[in-house]
Amino acid sequence: MLRLLVARLLGAIPLMFMVGTLVFFMMQLNPVDPTAFLLGDDTTTETVERARESLGLNRPVLTQYVDWISNAATGDLGVSWFNGEEVTTLLKKRTLVTFSVALGAMAIAVVLGLTLGILAAIKAGRWQDRLVTVVSSLGIAVPNFWVAIILAAIFAVKLRWFPSIWTAGRTESLWGWVYTIILPCIALGTASSAAIARQARSAMIGVLQQDYIRTALAKGLPVRRVIFRHAMRNAAIPVVTLIGFQLSALIGGSIFVEFIFNIPGLGTLGVQAVQRNNMPVVLGFVMITTLVVVIANILLDMSYAWLNPKVRP
Amino acid sequence: MAALTASAKERETEPGVSGYEEVASLGGNRFWRRFRRNRLALAAGAFLLFLLSLILLAPLITSHDPQQATRFQDFLFNPGSDYWWGTDAVGRDIYTRVIYGTRFAFLAGAVAVGTALTIGVPLGLTIGFFRGWIDRIVMRVVEAIVAVPAVVFAIAIIAVVGTGLVRAMFAIGIVYSMIITRLTRAEVFAAREELYVDGARASGASNLRIMFRHILPNIAPVLIVQTTLLFATSVLAEAALSFLGLGAGPKQASWGRLLRSAQESIDQSIWPAFPPGIAIFVTVVAFNVFGDGLRDAFGREARGGRVGVGDVERADLSEGSAAGVASSVSASPDKNALLSVRNLSVRFPRPGTTEDVDVVHGVNFDIGKGEVLALVGESGSGKSISALSVLGLVPDPGKASASSIMLDGKELVDMDFNELRQIRGREIGLISQEPSTALNPAYTVGRQIAEPLRYHLGMSKKDARTRSIELMTRVGIPDPEVRIDSFPHQFSGGMAQRVVIAMALACNPKLLIADEPTTALDVTVQGQVLDLIGDLAKELGVGVLLITHDLGVVSDLADKAAVMYAGEIVEEGRLVDVFHRPQHPYTEGLIKAIPRNEVREGELPTIDGVVPPPWMWPKGCHFAPRCPHATEQCREADVALRPSGASQARCIRADELDLIGVAGKNKSGSLPIVDAEVRDD
Repeated sequence: MLRLLVARLLGAIPLMFMVGTLVFFMMQLNPVDPTAFLLGDDTTTETVERARESLGLNRPVLTQYVDWISNAATGDLGVSWFNGEEVTTLLKKRTLVTFSVALGAMAIAVVLGLTLGILAAIKAGRWQDRLVTVVSSLGIAVPNFWVAIILAAIFAVKLRWFPSIWTAGRTESLWGWVYTIILPCIALGTASSAAIARQARSAMIGVLQQDYIRTALAKGLPVRRVIFRHAMRNAAIPVVTLIGFQLSALIGGSIFVEFIFNIPGLGTLGVQAVQRNNMPVVLGFVMITTLVVVIANILLDMSYAWLNPKVRP
Repeated sequence: MAALTASAKERETEPGVSGYEEVASLGGNRFWRRFRRNRLALAAGAFLLFLLSLILLAPLITSHDPQQATRFQDFLFNPGSDYWWGTDAVGRDIYTRVIYGTRFAFLAGAVAVGTALTIGVPLGLTIGFFRGWIDRIVMRVVEAIVAVPAVVFAIAIIAVVGTGLVRAMFAIGIVYSMIITRLTRAEVFAAREELYVDGARASGASNLRIMFRHILPNIAPVLIVQTTLLFATSVLAEAALSFLGLGAGPKQASWGRLLRSAQESIDQSIWPAFPPGIAIFVTVVAFNVFGDGLRDAFGREARGGRVGVGDVERADLSEGSAAGVASSVSASPDKNALLSVRNLSVRFPRPGTTEDVDVVHGVNFDIGKGEVLALVGESGSGKSISALSVLGLVPDPGKASASSIMLDGKELVDMDFNELRQIRGREIGLISQEPSTALNPAYTVGRQIAEPLRYHLGMSKKDARTRSIELMTRVGIPDPEVRIDSFPHQFSGGMAQRVVIAMALACNPKLLIADEPTTALDVTVQGQVLDLIGDLAKELGVGVLLITHDLGVVSDLADKAAVMYAGEIVEEGRLVDVFHRPQHPYTEGLIKAIPRNEVREGELPTIDGVVPPPWMWPKGCHFAPRCPHATEQCREADVALRPSGASQARCIRADELDLIGVAGKNKSGSLPIVDAEVRDD
């Protein structure tokens, strides 16, 4: 197990290197001179040259690349062009915020999705199944930022049960933290729970028709044990695959939800950086979100090995 | 946004190649026939056509300007006669803006999907076709891009190309092209193996021609389905990016923009968020349903069956049908037998209808203590389902009924699931056909053998382990102390079946049900496993219900035989009698089909045809259509099981026919079939 973990972690290094290289050179294709945005109307050749020099843009692209990627490897993602702040510092706090919203949403999606999916599978063909099937087919079509708008409007603006504005002070206690992110998590988790419910249902139905389920029943085990021990562990394999995709989607989706709930997360930072042509921050934004997803997927790979003995080394 | 990227990827992981039929084998007509049957998908298609028509019709069916307020003081109106769906914060008519929004939705979809296909298809075809280094390089890049959350990568591209509807959707299209590339590549990998590519190559077609003329049309169904589904996610993506201000500009009445302006005035009114939100939702649902419909129409018919098992109900004999013709055996159970089954019937709904048909009808049999009964018949005869009924494990939606199932003096009919649990595994052990699927792949064999011990006998973990090792030793698994911690996939078929036998015997059951226990095994180990079952039965005094389609394998194991055909027992008796003097033409056919240890000329004789499905079973003798001796009389009325020779048979001509049996048992007791004895006419 440990060897697998180490192997996967080592495998992530070239992947992150590839992502960094790809995105760095992609950014070079930008036809707009980044200094134009910084300087506004004050664009004499002299000021532009000075700005380019201070940002290190007058060096050859390859030098810039080697510089950036070797610094990135040590965790230094450069400084923001806009205000000279360290990108790594800027990202650190926001990553925690975004990640906790995504994780909370994932928890909701997994619990709700599995419960509904398994219920539907056990009751396959009956009204419970039809209800779950219809609701989850509709659920995957609901834009999560729309759910966020509606939830915010009803529960935060109208009923004032939850905060609509992010207050730094409140998030210091655990309860305050949960209280602040619960609405965003629900908004973000809805569509994912529908997707997980669909996958869990079909995986569970497939597994319940396997011979080993009949064997388990023929042994005289109670239905509860057959479902939760014998079926669920095998049905979990495709569900875990989907959770990997969903995690990536939730990190992406949190951008929109942060926007609506005024959460100072990665998404708001990234969108702002794109609008301001702030390349180091955009690069850092891509790298950090990818890193989170890659690490999460490595952990999921570990759970695969636990679920499916056939893939154990 | 989360949903859209996720669902696109999720779908990608669903079976591609295997789930679709080749275009060649699926005529266009068949596709349309299947698609037309799917009313929901048709409705979705019609709705999408309607939406498409709104692109042109928008100016005709709206009365306001999508960009300008008719009267600036009319802001945040609720729906009314002037403004059907109300107005937004600056007084613009929401209805008009939502209708015009379809233009941007379709434009967004077209740009994103067009980009994805333009890049993804040729790239996927190329790397899939040539493989090698080009495939490796491109796949590294694809993997890197796919590792980045889709929205994040799209935003990074937007950072380069700039904001705006078309640019943003181009960025989304590039992300989607990765999905298309991988999909196309996987399909090409599979298609390459197909014969038609070899055929094309043999006829001298160029690579380019093979790719676009031969491979592309055959992977088209997958791409069409994927395209439809990507269109749905593109609509969501447009809304999401425009909402952030990265997509459609302020002058474009796209649904995402509408939501953005609704969000800006959400403190004052929540209403303006609904029409565009619902428009997005309905459009996405329509694309999804349409895409799923296409997938189903292209795909092989796969229907998820119901899960669950049914208990055996008490047979309602008032109709008399079952009891009347079922048998001449007394309808009351044999109290001395270990297992005594009376009037067992199993009904299943006929596929595609709600009408129930009997797949097993009026079956009676008895097994004495330590006796082996072979239940013999072709697949489809109902023998396995009969055996499962005894355990109360008839799969849903089947319904089993019987007037009595007595196990060692206990009536099993009317027991509910939990009462039967005390019987299953404890008093009846099951050995099923395919050991590799009968064992749960996720757990070690030790845990699986120990499970009934812990459940029924309340053994401690340690005791159960010790006993499991004993059991494994008993069934002849070498190194049981080590093997107990292995997983099922680490066993050969024969060894895995021994594990299953150990599991079935764990609680010292009185009855063993062996459902084709050797069919899935190598010929070389079949004999060993059968011998093991036979020896254990003798040694432990267990009754055995042995189900098989092969009379040959039971010859030196069974004491009695019951031959089943089309849901009925057609002959039963002592094995020796059934073998030597078959009384039913079907039994004769089965005996003729036994391979013998001698050189013979020509093919092994078989009975022509197969067991027809239950709803095709004829009136009268079920075997008549395949019987060489059938007469008009055979087809007239149901035939009862009646004494015939030393056995019982369900044949009205049993007395007049001279059926060919087996000459005698040889001394070694192996395959007793020396040669067929031909009786003089």
